Amino acid sequence: MQNEVPPRLEMTGITKQFPGVLANDDVSFAIKRGEIHALLGENGAGKSTLVKMIYGIMRPDAGEMFWDGAPLKARNPKEARRLGIGMVFQHFSLFEALTVLENIALGMDGGLSSRALEARVREVLKAYKLTLDPHRVVSTLSVGERQRIEIVRALLLNPKLLIMDEPTSVLTPQEVTQLFKTLRQLASEGCSILYISHKLNEIKELCDTATILRGGKVVDECDPSKETSKSMAEKMIGGDLKAVAKGAERQFGEVQLAVRGLSLGRGHDFGTALKDISFSVHSGEIFGIAGVAGNGQNELLAALSGEQHAKADGVIELCGKPVGTSEPSTRRKAGLCAVPEERHGHAAVPDYSLANNGILTARHRRELVRSGLIKHSASHDFADEIIAEFGVMATGSKATAGSLSGGNLQKFIMGREILQTPEVLVISQPTWGVDAGAAAFIHQALVDMAQAGSAIVIISQDLDELLALSDTLSVINEGVLSAPMDVENASIEEIGLLMGGVHGETADSAKTLPTKPEAEHAVQV
Amino acid sequence: MQFRFEKRAEPSRIMLYATPVAAVLLTMVLGAIIFTIIGYDGIGAVREIFFTPLTNSLKWQDLAVKAAPLIIIGVGLSIGYRANVWNIGAEGQYIIGGLAATGVALLTQNMSGWWILPLMGIAGIAGGAAYVAVPAFLRVRLKVNEILTTLMLTYVAVNILNYLVFGPWKSPTSFGQPQTVAFNESQSLPYIIEGTIVQAGAPIAIIVALVAWFVMSRTIFGFQINTVGSAPKAAAYAGFSANKTILLALFISGGLAGLAGMLEAAGPFGRMVPQFPSNYGFTAIIVAFLGRLHPIGVLFAGIVLAITFVGGEVAQTTIALPNAAVGIFQAMMLFLLLAGDILIRYRVVRVVVAKGREAT
Repeated sequence: MQNEVPPRLEMTGITKQFPGVLANDDVSFAIKRGEIHALLGENGAGKSTLVKMIYGIMRPDAGEMFWDGAPLKARNPKEARRLGIGMVFQHFSLFEALTVLENIALGMDGGLSSRALEARVREVLKAYKLTLDPHRVVSTLSVGERQRIEIVRALLLNPKLLIMDEPTSVLTPQEVTQLFKTLRQLASEGCSILYISHKLNEIKELCDTATILRGGKVVDECDPSKETSKSMAEKMIGGDLKAVAKGAERQFGEVQLAVRGLSLGRGHDFGTALKDISFSVHSGEIFGIAGVAGNGQNELLAALSGEQHAKADGVIELCGKPVGTSEPSTRRKAGLCAVPEERHGHAAVPDYSLANNGILTARHRRELVRSGLIKHSASHDFADEIIAEFGVMATGSKATAGSLSGGNLQKFIMGREILQTPEVLVISQPTWGVDAGAAAFIHQALVDMAQAGSAIVIISQDLDELLALSDTLSVINEGVLSAPMDVENASIEEIGLLMGGVHGETADSAKTLPTKPEAEHAVQV
Repeated sequence: MQFRFEKRAEPSRIMLYATPVAAVLLTMVLGAIIFTIIGYDGIGAVREIFFTPLTNSLKWQDLAVKAAPLIIIGVGLSIGYRANVWNIGAEGQYIIGGLAATGVALLTQNMSGWWILPLMGIAGIAGGAAYVAVPAFLRVRLKVNEILTTLMLTYVAVNILNYLVFGPWKSPTSFGQPQTVAFNESQSLPYIIEGTIVQAGAPIAIIVALVAWFVMSRTIFGFQINTVGSAPKAAAYAGFSANKTILLALFISGGLAGLAGMLEAAGPFGRMVPQFPSNYGFTAIIVAFLGRLHPIGVLFAGIVLAITFVGGEVAQTTIALPNAAVGIFQAMMLFLLLAGDILIRYRVVRVVVAKGREAT
């Protein structure tokens, strides 16, 4: 009997061609009823394209999709929702100034009175033990709570298939645990879940089956519980994955960067004020700053890079010299390079060639400008050097930054700063949106830099990354930086609580913490 | 058959250079049609406006005279526009530059010497820059939109000009005409080609364009202007001060407009008159865009717009086309150019409608 039930969703031979790329190449897989199915792959492996076709945003060039055994003919998301396909996107579409309920009402296809809707919402919240106040204004909610709005939105449609796109990238460990509970409950009720992620230990913990995509093709289908993170990662990238060699027993030297009582007002309406931040980083040390997005990371980076000035010169000391009110160029000359999280338009100018993007920050330390004149051949040589040493996939130093994929541009930017051999390097999100191979490469480059005596500050939302790389770790929450802790002795539980800060229901969910990530967490994916 | 726009992976370089040419050609076609419909000789209008100035060698010197101020102002504006600073009031800075030069001329009325012209040039540049300083500081200090302030100050400049030539600067020997005394030989631009009306303005325009080209493409200052304009956050990250860049970009565009004013006053006009504002400052906006904000492009665009000015005068006498027709042609050119810009980032693709769905 059992095998006569058609799968909830079956895809056969799906092919989608974009100008210049074959995004999906003869992709076939099936999702059973009540199954949590992982779709695993690096950036650009074709995951998003596949999902967009299921959700009716795009149509395949070839191949067929079946929904409960019948051809799937969703021509747009509205039709997909009517069939019972729900989707939670990585980036939420919420109005900050409206309440939870108002946001949900706006996203509903059918008209429902606000009272009836509220009753339905409360029903769903109760059924899935989700804590969310329908009358709170979205701008006051944490990221985890915002995601819950999107989940409720999807659940209101009684979905038969729920697609989750990178749902945990912005959550604290406690919020992740809570999310997994909800998803398991949904699956036990027969709802299938397509879970898109590149975080391997989450997939091992949650998913029944994993389909691995590489270069638009299905390379394997496996049972994550029988695989190791390393084996799945290698299938994803199609090669050996070297674990980051942390360099045992690194010696710390002098304090290279000291921040004492840095406070800054909110730059704009949605900014975060920095409150009395103090820390110091020694030569050879990697200092990690964890935290959920929007808790002052960007403001802190701007204050360190010099884009924002501190109130007094002595607040930031670089190699013993006060630089709190100096310009970015002055700080760079004095040995501090920084990389902001936004690559397009901040760390790089998309319309500029790679050579010109080199001039952007390396003109002083690499002497690409002499008495006001740009040394064009030197700047092309520098770009070529980055491309060669960091394995950047680009047509050459004349390629525009915008033409590079996210991961390649990140490699280029990291290379640009690392090849300037700064005494202090401050980076935000070093491997965001970067594929596993490139991430491992960047991590190794950072560790090697520390080995060579630089002081490094890494601001990241990826806790696994920070635990793998840093020697010392602090958590930033609402502009306040926690006391630094030694990573060797840090507890995930404590870090999670600090990340949650005053935001949410961390106290009660702390009881059900995820197990400490396996030793494999050094394998960054 | 349906068409739609599809984003290009990279901006098209071919379209970047092809669209200005296409805009000019399309302007001719549409212009011919429009003027035929409203009862003029449309084809004749296009011929007289766009081609007679080129085919008739007698008109070449007129072209040089008209193109020079357009190029000088256009180069300055293009530098500002690259920095994302929208100086719309070059006409005003041009007038004040001309007035400042006239001021020097009136003070040195009974003197002679090689130093007078350079001094007038400096006064012109300083006048234009000083006049744009008001919007510049309002923009930097109070974030007042420079588009409005520069534009409105143009009308102030016109009234300052009128006040001076009708009042304190009026020549005692002009029989009531509102004009200053004529500039003497030391105060007038030399002719560079004997027997023509081409004065030093033309070579100066070429030099200005070449220097600007060098500065914008080879120096860190040009790099800074471009970066602040195209990616302000990246510029701040790179250590370029946005405010300093905005001030400098405005001073350069104002200063060059002032220089153009001085060259006009000391050149073709030879004195200050109420007819001095000749719309060069506004037309130079079209020049800057048609030249793709590139100094060498501006050089060619300046000549194209000069052709329409000279051709407009020809058409007035030969086929009785009203003077406003030139304005229509120029405006159409800018409109078509800006509309065509979408082709740089997008391509037109045919939408293939699946057979099965056509029925629905």
